[in-house]
Amino acid sequence: MVMAVKELGTLHSVGKGIPRLDADEKVRGLAQYADDLNVPGAWYGFVVRSPVAHGRLRGLKKDPGFDWSQVVVVTPEDIPGNNIVDLMGRDMPFIAHDVIQYLGEPVALVAAASRHLARVAGSHIRADIEELPPLLTLQDMVARYKEDPAQLHELASQTIRKGDTEKALSEADMVVEQEYSAGHQEQLYIEPQGMVAIPESDGTMFIHGSMQCPYYINPELCETLDIPPEKLRVKQSAVGGAFGGKEEFPTLLAGYCALLALKAKRPIKIIYDRNQDILYTTKRHPSWSRYRVGVMKDGTIHAIQTEFLLDGGAYTTLSPVVMYRGILHAAMGYRCENVAIDGHVYRTNTFPNGAFRGFGAPQALWAWESMIDELAEACGMTPHEFRLKNCLHQGDSTPTGGILRDSVGSPTVLEKTLERANFSEKLKQCSHGRRGEKKWYGIGLSFFAHGSGFTGDGEARIKAKVALDLEPGDDGKPVVNVRVSSTEMGQGTCTILPQVAADALSIDIRHTAYPMPDTFKVPDSGPTVASRTAMVVGSTIFSAGKKMKAELEAFVSAELFDGQPVVLEQDRFCGSYGDKEMSFEEAAAQYLSRKGSLRVYDQFKLPEFIKWNQKTFEGDAYPAYAWGCNVAELEVDTLTFEIRVTRVTSYWDIGRLLNPVLAKGQVEGGLVQALGYAMLEKIEIKNGKYDADRMQTYVIPTTLDIPEMDLHFVEFPYEHAQPGAKGVGEIPMDGLAPAIANALVQATGIRMRDLPITPEKLFQMMHEEKTA
Amino acid sequence: MNKVKRTWQINGEEHQTEIPPVRRFLDVLREDLGLKGTKEGCGEGECGACTVIVNGEAVLSCMLPAGQVPENAEVTTVEGLEKTPGGRLLQAAYAEKGAAQCGFCIPGMIVSSYAMLSRDPSADPARIREAHAGNICRCTGYEKIVEAIQSAAEQWPAGTKG
Repeated sequence: MVMAVKELGTLHSVGKGIPRLDADEKVRGLAQYADDLNVPGAWYGFVVRSPVAHGRLRGLKKDPGFDWSQVVVVTPEDIPGNNIVDLMGRDMPFIAHDVIQYLGEPVALVAAASRHLARVAGSHIRADIEELPPLLTLQDMVARYKEDPAQLHELASQTIRKGDTEKALSEADMVVEQEYSAGHQEQLYIEPQGMVAIPESDGTMFIHGSMQCPYYINPELCETLDIPPEKLRVKQSAVGGAFGGKEEFPTLLAGYCALLALKAKRPIKIIYDRNQDILYTTKRHPSWSRYRVGVMKDGTIHAIQTEFLLDGGAYTTLSPVVMYRGILHAAMGYRCENVAIDGHVYRTNTFPNGAFRGFGAPQALWAWESMIDELAEACGMTPHEFRLKNCLHQGDSTPTGGILRDSVGSPTVLEKTLERANFSEKLKQCSHGRRGEKKWYGIGLSFFAHGSGFTGDGEARIKAKVALDLEPGDDGKPVVNVRVSSTEMGQGTCTILPQVAADALSIDIRHTAYPMPDTFKVPDSGPTVASRTAMVVGSTIFSAGKKMKAELEAFVSAELFDGQPVVLEQDRFCGSYGDKEMSFEEAAAQYLSRKGSLRVYDQFKLPEFIKWNQKTFEGDAYPAYAWGCNVAELEVDTLTFEIRVTRVTSYWDIGRLLNPVLAKGQVEGGLVQALGYAMLEKIEIKNGKYDADRMQTYVIPTTLDIPEMDLHFVEFPYEHAQPGAKGVGEIPMDGLAPAIANALVQATGIRMRDLPITPEKLFQMMHEEKTA
Repeated sequence: MNKVKRTWQINGEEHQTEIPPVRRFLDVLREDLGLKGTKEGCGEGECGACTVIVNGEAVLSCMLPAGQVPENAEVTTVEGLEKTPGGRLLQAAYAEKGAAQCGFCIPGMIVSSYAMLSRDPSADPARIREAHAGNICRCTGYEKIVEAIQSAAEQWPAGTKG
């Protein structure tokens, strides 16, 4: 099944389960996370927040009885530049100055010598707000949408059109209509958000902390601080999990710290406690999907019409792109020549929703893969027959008219998973809510693709830049440092990129290293998001490594081997006359002593045949797709309605496996996060506030909730991005919820269309069914 | 506030402190003694990132008033594991099996593993899962953590407390 990859050379690091290069410091407790940084003279920052979700800010009242001399207070008047957080829209201020759009919106910043004093001072500032009626929930948003969308404030919209969907719906033998929804999900990285801003004597502002994307903070903060990019240094500390939650949010925290640091003229540290972290950071967008799908009697999908709505929260932030990824996956995976998709993001008065592993795709696929089972049933087909009949193959066209040219893991992952799970046989054993049983058994299927890299024109715009530095390491020996802005946050960047660099050069991985990204040292290889690091940044490192290899071979040939042709292979330079050989380490040391350090740059280029129209959403939405298939088996306790997922079987095509141990770790962790999304993790809004605001009330899976996981990879390497990885970060999040809902139908006869699926909701649905 | 004097054996070294009895033991370790390996994930005893061993028992240092840590208590934090054969085994197994991803839960997780195996090195996967149910990890899905602990258990130095 493994396809040949040209000109790859012999790989010695890639494909091996090399232990993480940062494992040692992590298991010894030595990794320095934001709160572990020793920052002499630092004060602690605190954010004073609006107690209401929507209103007009009349002013701030500072308690005259409080001793303000011991603290520093920042209000909008103190901001040197523009009071704007520039993400996809320029509508969000760092500190509110007019309209309050969500509960907890900053109205002032305070710093003091201790956390306690900063908090106490903050409690002596009161915002005077004229309250306005808020729009708080997805349910209210959808109700207004159905009544008249003009009542809503639209933050973004986008359409996809292929063929003539209305005509095709009228031609179809059957039209199935259905609605699905999903609630918030909190990233719940175990390390809360934390940041430090250090004003340096030369006017540089040094931002150091927990983040995914150093090159978001620079340039975004430059406009607010009114400093040039070269005066803003951003460095990543060890990151204790992120999952998208540290994509755009850290810009806010860095802004709070930097604004306070400017005024206080000293370092400022803000470490959120868990309660602040849940209440006042981004979450996965709640979503609502409505489908009208036309099918023919033989089970062919003839027309797909869908609306995909996201609850954006208070400001635009990254929501447009989350919605784009959502609509690009909302009808993906299956052949259909008539597709009409409308995506919208509307404002509600909650904290802006944001990036979370999957980035719109899990919401879209939750609905779409549930719908696929409903379509199969309408056609009188089994879930697997229907999928096998309609799924995309190599050469087919996606909903945006892109052609799946190569590296297509469909239908292989589907076929292999079905076989491995013995799906068709076990489907016959399902309980269908039979009376008199203690436990109901069900099995369910989902099949899906996830676009690798930025959506649409993103990679073409960013043109990821990377560098490799050959320089003396801490021990004086030559080391090849990987210089990228791609961060390590647990997923494995710090190991896979050195693996790729080592193989490109044909050297031992011990001669490579991955220093923590620092914008004063690394070029902008783009943010660490969108399942793009392995494919986009990895392939650019690979070509940079090839360049460095050629440079070093030329040096050894000219200066050490009397001009004879030289090849660097398996850590040794070999002259072609067979009389000279030198180790990489020795030759690289010679290079350093004669010529100094060597930096090689490279830049990512999309293959020329990848075409995309960002206005009409036509063409190749992604350079490549990863493919996955999940089979979930579960048991329902017929007395308590407790649902226990007992087993997940799945196959994945993520292109070439750079590191099988790390890749499997991504899949296991992603599936468990998806299990939480599907069944456990629930936040509702009560009195304008999230009701689950701590780890006691926001419950995520523990060791006791984990199903048996039978996970396998099939490799379809992506030849246009050597060594051929596609991306594994997000796809494990995409398909488990619908597989569970589909299994639950087989177990109970009840179709759940709102996430999370809890025993309470199941009980209610069974009760309604009985009384109906 | 009144302070109390305490002498503790932390990771085999004697530490004398004078602390307010209600100060969280976590803060004493991290801020007063500079042992920053132990982490705070939730501050309310839910996540287990702050787990340390006091006189053989795994405890949540964010919920423990320092005054309740007895005089002459033997304390083990993540920093102390490498001083013991069992601790080194666990560290190697966690690294090799890919049990650490972001690593933030690991100081608490691996200390819980050490406490459990010191008591019962014969633990099977079900027991391991039970003993680590109070240590939340958001990255790994726990599979590789359980594998690592099993692997360390198989090689656990016989007849020792680790």
